[in-house]
Amino acid sequence: MTDLVGCIAPEKLEEYRNVFVYLENRNGKISRGALEMLGKGKEISVKLNEKVVGIAIGQDLKAVADEAASFGCDLILGAELSDFNGFSSVAYTNIISDFIFEQKPNIFLISGSREGRDLVSRIAVKCKTGVAADCIELDGDPTNRLLIAWRPSFGDKTIDQILCRKHRPQMITSRPGSYKLPEKVEKPDCETRIKKVKVGKLVAKHKILEFKPKTRLDLTSSKIIVSGGLGIGGPKGFEPIRKLAKELEGEVGASRPVVDLGWIPYEHQVGQTGQTVRPKLYIAAGISGKIQHIVGMKASETIIAINTDPDAPIVKYSDYFINADAGKAVAKLADEIRKYKKAHLVEADSEQTA
Amino acid sequence: MAIKIIVMMKQVPDAEEIFIDPVKFTLNRAQARGIINPSDENALECALKIKDQTGAEITVLSMGPPAAESAIIECMGRGADRGVLVTDRVFAAADTYATSLTLAASVKNLGEFDLIIAGESTTDSGTGHVGPGVAEFLGIDQATYCTSLHIENDALVAERDLEDGTEVVSIGLPALATVLISSNIPRRAKLRLKIDALRKGIEKWDHDTLKLPPEWVGIKGSPTVVGALKIPEERKRAAKRITVDQLGELVKELGGMGLIKTEEEEA
Ligand SMILES: Cc1cc2nc3c(=O)[nH]c(=O)nc-3n(C[C@H](O)[C@H](O)[C@H](O)COP(=O)(O)OP(=O)(O)OC[C@H]3O[C@@H](n4cnc5c(N)ncnc54)[C@H](O)[C@@H]3O)c2cc1C
Ligand SMILES: Cc1cc2nc3c(=O)[nH]c(=O)nc-3n(C[C@H](O)[C@H](O)[C@H](O)COP(=O)(O)OP(=O)(O)OC[C@H]3O[C@@H](n4cnc5c(N)ncnc54)[C@H](O)[C@@H]3O)c2cc1C
Repeated sequence: MTDLVGCIAPEKLEEYRNVFVYLENRNGKISRGALEMLGKGKEISVKLNEKVVGIAIGQDLKAVADEAASFGCDLILGAELSDFNGFSSVAYTNIISDFIFEQKPNIFLISGSREGRDLVSRIAVKCKTGVAADCIELDGDPTNRLLIAWRPSFGDKTIDQILCRKHRPQMITSRPGSYKLPEKVEKPDCETRIKKVKVGKLVAKHKILEFKPKTRLDLTSSKIIVSGGLGIGGPKGFEPIRKLAKELEGEVGASRPVVDLGWIPYEHQVGQTGQTVRPKLYIAAGISGKIQHIVGMKASETIIAINTDPDAPIVKYSDYFINADAGKAVAKLADEIRKYKKAHLVEADSEQTA
Repeated sequence: MAIKIIVMMKQVPDAEEIFIDPVKFTLNRAQARGIINPSDENALECALKIKDQTGAEITVLSMGPPAAESAIIECMGRGADRGVLVTDRVFAAADTYATSLTLAASVKNLGEFDLIIAGESTTDSGTGHVGPGVAEFLGIDQATYCTSLHIENDALVAERDLEDGTEVVSIGLPALATVLISSNIPRRAKLRLKIDALRKGIEKWDHDTLKLPPEWVGIKGSPTVVGALKIPEERKRAAKRITVDQLGELVKELGGMGLIKTEEEEA
């Protein structure tokens, strides 16, 4: 419990040093989002001449510590739970806040995964600081030792800089997939401090009754994605899109409103609050191209947009623009691909017989 | 005794009607039509289902401008018993810390409660940080990303949708839950209930009611600040126009780029 008081700033900001990164992990492996944060944390810590410190919680943290060290972590602070197996935001918030009170970090990066987003704001409230959510660009300002974070603004074109000038640590989240995975360092040089922690009292009434695992679609490493937006007209509009994706051996993506409307599950959502993708080919059918969608797919190598509106913002983000009805153009594309494949088969056959 | 549920509801601008003040970089919300944040409709529906089954007293709590009253009345028309609007100029431009503090203080002011239900995130700024922030201020456990909720004995049993599966968790009351958008079908308001709500009216509280000093709330009480605004740098793209009749040519280009796998290559 935190007293109901305002966000009182610390007096001596210069006491706060180093970049914390939350090492979300499962079965001894650090999550993709946390590795991206570690990469960013390393970059910023070098720029600010600070250390990057990994914070890990789990049952057995040896493998996690080794992996973090290989990606350039300077120090790992771990808490091994001796009386609880699982995730509890109350317990984790307490443990992490204790590390913050003890170490006084300047910056704290947390992946915007479901676990990260469940935790981040409890930690911020407990430690009296702010969080910039779902950032898409991060940088360090060495003069003021500030974290410069950017997130999409409300309109359809701009991004906002969010700063936390007077409170520490400066906290942010970024959705998994927002950044490239970091490279391993040549000579890991990392100190590991792991302590045993009991959380029994905090989780006495927190009981995980059941867990049904399922594999969720991961678009972050897909080579080809065909996405549909409101312009496809309804859930049925995904039928030709699925066919085209199949023809291209790619995956199906979507804008947020069609997910919100239940036309397709959330695991297909591309954008600021969905997945950030960088395929070789991205086809956007009936998607207008608002900034929150664009930030999730603009790193694609080739972009094809299909839209009835020649002035839709998506046009200027596309390499090819098809000014037509999504359903028709998508079906025709699939046909043409089938034809192309056939022609190639014939060619290959004739070469063989020749 | 019926359990006490608080539903946190934010009125958001209808996504298509936003206007940004180019000088002050602030949202001009006055221009956009207000609607109930979509996942808050699902949160309210969860509360109403509990009320249908076991009885419950539901209070809708919202922080926002006076115009948010209509959204609260709409919630009462669907079956909520009481509506509180926390409204004060000093609450304006709050970040998630100041918003969570103000809402937590409002919950305290409501007195005893068993369960708080919030939406998972809003469709305007959509941080998803307000629910957990309130839970931390109140020192209660939470279940986030829920698709269904029910009460068993003195516990909340919730189904949570996570990246790698579905978790069913039981947590002690009082607790806070956040509900995912589209996790149920919100009922419509009943005319009779809406008329009752209009007659009954809502309560309006300000920072004095909550005994919150102005420097703790709104923009003054917010640790995060919006700095500059920029148009992200983009790679220039050609936007080559292709008609539907030219799709064959486009496919050839894609084939040339190695984007179409032919059996031949697979073999
Ligand atoms: C905090 C926040 C987070 C967000 N996160 C995301 C996110 O992660 N992902 C995301 O996508 N959005 C996100 N959004 C929503 C985003 O702002 C837009 O509302 C959304 O991307 C629009 O989806 P759309 O392009 O499908 O719909 P619209 O903007 O309605 O566009 C539909 C398009 O279809 C075209 N069209 C209509 N009929 C046809 C037809 N027959 N054939 C072809 N084209 C047609 C129209 O010309 C239009 O361009 C977020 C918003 C906020 C505020
Ligand atoms: C473009 C933009 C970016 C922003 N970025 C940040 C940022 O990075 N960090 C930051 O701290 N603030 C940020 N803010 C400020 C943030 O919008 C406010 O703090 C806002 O009051 C609550 O945040 P939310 O809409 O994200 O709520 P969420 O956390 O997404 O809301 C979740 C749930 O909490 C409840 N809830 C939220 N607000 C209210 C309310 N007023 N009354 C009743 N219930 C409510 C609802 O049940 C809602 O479904 C940003 C604002 C804008 C416009």
